[in-house]
Amino acid sequence: MVRGAIEFRDVTKVYGPTVAIGRFSHAFEPGRIHALMGKNGSGKSTLVKMLAGAIEPTLGELWVNGARVRFEGPRDAYAAGIVTVHQELSLVRSLSIGENIYLGRLPKKHVMGGTVVDWQRLNDDARALMADMGLDLDPRALVETLSVGQQQAVEIVKAMSFAPSILLLDEPTSALAAPEVAQLFNLIRRLRARGVTMIYITHRMNELFEIADTCVVLRDGHFVGATEMKDATSASIVEMMFGGVSMAKRPARRSVDRSRPILSVRNLQRDDVVHDVSFDLYRGEVLGFAGLLGSGRTEVLRAVFGADPHDGGAIVFDGETIERPTPKSMKKRGLGYTPENRKEVGLVQVLSSHDNLCLASIGRIARHGLIDRRLEQPFVDRQIRDLSIRVPDPMDPVSSLSGGNQQKIVIGNWLNTEPKVMFFDEPSRGIDVQAKQQIFEIMWQKAERGLSSIFVSSELEEVLEVADRIIVLYHGRVVAEVLPEETTLAELYKICMEGSP
Amino acid sequence: MSTAAMSRIGATSLKIYAMEVILLILVVFLIAFAPGFATLGNFLNVLRTVSMLGIIAFGMTAVIISGEIDLSIGATAGLAGCIVAFVCDGYMDMIGEVPAVLIGTIAALAIGFCTGVFTGKIRQWFNVPTFITTLALFTAIRGIANLVTGGFPMPSFPSWFYFFGAGNLFGVPFPVYVLAVVFVAMHFLMKYTSFGRAIYAVGGNAEAARLSGIDVSLTKTLALAITGALAALSGILLASQVGSGIGTMATGMELDVISATIIGGTSLFGGKGRIWGTLLGVLFLGCIANGMTLMNVSEYWQYVVRGGIILGAVLLNQILERIR
Ligand SMILES: Nc1ncnc2c1ncn2[C@@H]1O[C@H](COP(=O)(O)OP(=O)(O)OP(=O)(O)O)[C@@H](O)[C@H]1O
Ligand SMILES: [Mg+2]
Repeated sequence: MVRGAIEFRDVTKVYGPTVAIGRFSHAFEPGRIHALMGKNGSGKSTLVKMLAGAIEPTLGELWVNGARVRFEGPRDAYAAGIVTVHQELSLVRSLSIGENIYLGRLPKKHVMGGTVVDWQRLNDDARALMADMGLDLDPRALVETLSVGQQQAVEIVKAMSFAPSILLLDEPTSALAAPEVAQLFNLIRRLRARGVTMIYITHRMNELFEIADTCVVLRDGHFVGATEMKDATSASIVEMMFGGVSMAKRPARRSVDRSRPILSVRNLQRDDVVHDVSFDLYRGEVLGFAGLLGSGRTEVLRAVFGADPHDGGAIVFDGETIERPTPKSMKKRGLGYTPENRKEVGLVQVLSSHDNLCLASIGRIARHGLIDRRLEQPFVDRQIRDLSIRVPDPMDPVSSLSGGNQQKIVIGNWLNTEPKVMFFDEPSRGIDVQAKQQIFEIMWQKAERGLSSIFVSSELEEVLEVADRIIVLYHGRVVAEVLPEETTLAELYKICMEGSP
Repeated sequence: MSTAAMSRIGATSLKIYAMEVILLILVVFLIAFAPGFATLGNFLNVLRTVSMLGIIAFGMTAVIISGEIDLSIGATAGLAGCIVAFVCDGYMDMIGEVPAVLIGTIAALAIGFCTGVFTGKIRQWFNVPTFITTLALFTAIRGIANLVTGGFPMPSFPSWFYFFGAGNLFGVPFPVYVLAVVFVAMHFLMKYTSFGRAIYAVGGNAEAARLSGIDVSLTKTLALAITGALAALSGILLASQVGSGIGTMATGMELDVISATIIGGTSLFGGKGRIWGTLLGVLFLGCIANGMTLMNVSEYWQYVVRGGIILGAVLLNQILERIR
């Protein structure tokens, strides 16, 4: 028996008319880290879900540890030593961290003839596991109080607790910032040393060279090629993924007219999370927010947009002082906000892509409250075209789209409102290099026509590339303001980490 | 076309038209085995009964799609009849028959609307689930209805008033026309207006809807208010049919209404459902009840069968959801 060997033999998976994976054959060598690359909707998650027992292949055979396997559910996969961290977070938000890690196998103890949950041991074990990953969280804290990044980290800790021989990681870093990524990589290296086979999906090219041993590339559900990372260059991988496209370069930096701000925030206060934050945003400017997880980037955006209440400070939008912002009133004034967590709050999963693209513009596609098909259709078509969203049928539930394409729907939904100011909270999360570039281009194009945006990303390279000006947040405070052309990645990283220039 | 593709299309259309097919099978069965089912008179009778239920069920569908529930509609319907009877009893001599009925009707509809607004506002301000608020209203409104009538039936309507509940227009029971109008209005509302879209969005994911700038509370409150008004409308028709305002009228109607909605494929989790499905659900319940009575099935067995049907319908929907 070959522990940790994975082989796909002529595997096909179809969803109705969509071929998600077509005749895929490949053997993944045991004990190595295999990167899986491909653009949004190319079938990476589908491949991983079959190994995880979440879905069954339509045709073809899976071989694990040298034997043919047939998984009828995730339990079978666990039994074969395969553990998965899925792309979309799957923790129970109303339970504690510890409970989530040991869900379905809570440690028990005997008290007076009965069996009860051994909370002491559960919390101790959970804490030890997290410490192993360099994570300092209280295992009794509820998951819903954690940021997306922290949740992702908990998800990984949970996977580790199974001591797997095969670990599948579907974009584990998409919500993580540099220090967490570094921690995760340390952990992954430790696991490799123990002989665990890993399949690692990511859209971040630089991570490949840091962590992966081999790279397998998919295009439209088909195997394109596999290469040893030591023989590969990022150009050769991009070439395999897209079949030769030229990447757009950032347009020359324009000088932004900074005489009159369109949005100015003064001394914004939200107890415990945002302290005394002030900044200005000018017409046509892309303002980057940099900072670690939990530094208050999302919280500032949510407070200004009115998604959360704030406790003090002044917000002036387009010359108007706003006392109590609400999403509805801010939308009317021309502000849009794409939230970082698309699954939970960005999309209505039971509705179609069509409906989700019109969610924020329900008022615009209607005349006197009546929906006008002729008004509505362009709203859908335009975004699908401009953002190159891969939707087999816009009337299918949005949940059937691949992760990256769902993200594009969230963005399209807001671009449809023709906003004056956009808050993009991690818009590039889970998006392939090309799509990312498309979204940045749209931001730059719209900026030229006067759209101002605030851009949050955990990838500092991106912030440096996209923004005209960068504000660094640290523990809920603004600690620095820098210009990307005068700042190196290392410098920006240092400010984020240490909280001072 | 390949057989696989054919069977897929077969499965898809079965999924979409499952309820239609089942209703058809039931009707054929009843025509064959229930004596007197296939007569025009019986048919119109079924429609009349079904109308009272359907008028409310269309509103309930919107409420359930928006992710809420309303248990108070039976009580509201009872109260509405009592209010009309009360106004007729006290003021008909003073202001005349037509104005009295008119004022009573408007007051009843307004009160129905307001109970919905009340429930919605309690939900918004204090975050009390509508299940709880309407459960409380369910009891309280019953009490009020009996206070209004003094605990006895109040047969105070003018003689022509019976027409709305018990009369026929061009040979068809009058409530059927009301049902048709409400059906068209609600179908249109849910499908072709921004309000209808908002109901689906709010029920599918309230937080995503809120962050998209949709007024979640307003949407839910309006759906509840419309349902309250429809409950009152149905209650007035019922009172007209029996000829008096009775505080205990329409007892247990909420369960029939919710059953019809669920049989029609609306998801109690919110975000999914169709007005058309509810119409089928209402017809289905009406035919079953009528058919079993005609076949002399004991009342107790009827309850058992209806319970089984509700569970069966939900199971069927779940199974159809899975095969795709
Ligand atoms: N449940 C489903 N029903 C219908 N189609 C689906 C379903 N799940 C996935 N698909 C389709 O299968 C294809 C592959 O999707 P998959 O999620 O594997 O892509 P991916 O490579 O992981 O993309 P991303 O980088 O965006 O996460 C897509 O075209 C998607 O629309
Ligand atoms: Mg994916």
